[in-house]
Amino acid sequence: MLAQAGNHTCLPRREVAPVGSSQRTPLLVVAVAALAGAFFAGVLTFDFVAHLDRQVHAITCSVTPGLSAPDSSGSSGCHAALMSPYSSVARRWTWGGIPISLPALAVFAFLLFRSLDLLLAGAARPAQATAFLLAATLLPLFASIVYFLLSVLRLKTLCTLCTALYVASIACFAAALVAHRRAAAGGSLRPVAWGWHIVQFCEGVLFVAIPVLVYLLVKPAYPEQVAHCGGLLHPEDRYQVRLPLARQGGGVPTIEVLDPLCPACRALSLRLGASGLAQQLDREVVLFPLDATCNWMVSESLHPGSCTVSEAILAAGPQAETVLTWALDHQPELRTLGARSEKELSARIVKEFPQLAGALGSPAVKSRLNRSLRWVVANSLPVLTPQVFVGGRKVCDEDTDLGLEYVLTRLLHERSLAPSGVGGR
Amino acid sequence: MRSGLRHVALFLGTLLAVTALVAAWVRGAAVRLDRLVAEQSGERAVAVASAADEGYCTGELKRILRRVLTSCGLVQGGSQRGCQPLQARSVAAMSGADFNALFVPLADRAAIIQFDQDSADLDAQAIELLDRTFADQRGASYFLVVSRASPEGSVAYNRELSRRRAESVLQHLEERFHDPDLEREVGLLWLGEEFAQLDREFCQWQRSRPTGPCGGAELNRSAFVAWIDCRL
Repeated sequence: MLAQAGNHTCLPRREVAPVGSSQRTPLLVVAVAALAGAFFAGVLTFDFVAHLDRQVHAITCSVTPGLSAPDSSGSSGCHAALMSPYSSVARRWTWGGIPISLPALAVFAFLLFRSLDLLLAGAARPAQATAFLLAATLLPLFASIVYFLLSVLRLKTLCTLCTALYVASIACFAAALVAHRRAAAGGSLRPVAWGWHIVQFCEGVLFVAIPVLVYLLVKPAYPEQVAHCGGLLHPEDRYQVRLPLARQGGGVPTIEVLDPLCPACRALSLRLGASGLAQQLDREVVLFPLDATCNWMVSESLHPGSCTVSEAILAAGPQAETVLTWALDHQPELRTLGARSEKELSARIVKEFPQLAGALGSPAVKSRLNRSLRWVVANSLPVLTPQVFVGGRKVCDEDTDLGLEYVLTRLLHERSLAPSGVGGR
Repeated sequence: MRSGLRHVALFLGTLLAVTALVAAWVRGAAVRLDRLVAEQSGERAVAVASAADEGYCTGELKRILRRVLTSCGLVQGGSQRGCQPLQARSVAAMSGADFNALFVPLADRAAIIQFDQDSADLDAQAIELLDRTFADQRGASYFLVVSRASPEGSVAYNRELSRRRAESVLQHLEERFHDPDLEREVGLLWLGEEFAQLDREFCQWQRSRPTGPCGGAELNRSAFVAWIDCRL
């Protein structure tokens, strides 16, 4: 027994990893990449957390935060990513959900810790430690691939900071792979107890769980503010301007006041679609373009071209939802065209929907769009988009972005508990 | 032993740094939210959607318009629809020239729909201009139709002819636009040949027959239509 113990503590020299620069360099690269990843994930988390006060904030959209001006346009890729349904999880359970960048920050911090620990351990570390490090880098790598695909395929835009995070993930993985191959080639593999693996794994879990737990414990509670933002004075559709979206039948009547070229409206549409809650709603849209061409309530066009696009949606009849979806998907292009020339914008719309030729700009459609704006006036709504009314109750404007799923879930739950007829149109 | 301590110290140090940062950020948001709720108590300074009230809507203009519109049944509470020449003259309490001058600020919101002699039928050009003008409502609350007749014929006949012209415009708008607010936003005044005849200065305004002759007779065989961007 003693002899065995002696064998374990006095390993033959060939089983110990040499501590040359060939092994230190990749570990150093892992540490630097993990530090960069933690920094970028930290900035993303900071921006997300800032919105927990339910206000609008400028966000960082540069790999040199502090040196570049924050983005307050609301139309950047960074903003689209932050406001997308993919920026956080568990949104129905807690207001805003848990930002995905928070576990990312924790994982990169863990990789930093592991790589520094290995660097300082030198000859004392087994090669299995680099294998564990390599396995740990697979998590951000896999997450980066998934989020890159989501950005490209669903959001159709890339966020600068997220891209920096993808690069950091790839660098961590590549350097960890090199470190492990060199360690394995150095012959430092030696038996380690299963407990060692469990301890390593638990350390990783704690690195993620503790910050997330603290986040949930410290974050504000919202019950008293939710769903006390009034309702509609005249919800009836006397102007016949409410456009039905895909009807579920038996769902809760919901009215969305949208500008087809407003980025926040697109984000709302994406979040509703991804939340799965849309299936419980009978959705209708009222168009409220924030474009001075047709809207006298704005002194300058916030979303140039949205009057023309709104006309196209209203003129499309049964295809209104198709045109609206197309417009939401092509917002940047349509806004650019709208700012340049109404004619070019109209031509682009007609190219996509030839049946609308002749309808755009016609008195009948202009008058209908005007009635849509007058519906907003009749209800004395604030001049902003998007606005959402569920069962006649307004979702507070501050809750139409990150807090939408949470508030909708509560409203639907309250409605299911309410006696029949309460809160209807 | 030393490596174990170093490992634990590194573990705790990194973890605490991350956790402390997150806690500080979230706490900051919570404090801001509490402060905002206390300060605003639910009220926000956001513009509320409303009808237009343009700069030309001076107090004096509004006063006269309110009197005319109410007396001629155009504002809710009015007892009748439409104003005849004598009524228009008495409620406006002004000369014909002053009455016409009221509309000068509306030059780019108005149009003159012209008719054939002794006719209340809208031709294609008239319909096109009327539709275009009416569709360009923007935030206006009232659409005035002020119809007239040229001096040929008797006063009574011209009064009736101008009434038919005003009705013809209204009927077309009802059939074309199906606007549920038409009853309360379109006001009719028929002036016959008796009051506020248009002079040649109005030839410069938008007319349905822009290339045709523009004498006093042609100008007054018409319905003057205009959106009024005033909240009364």
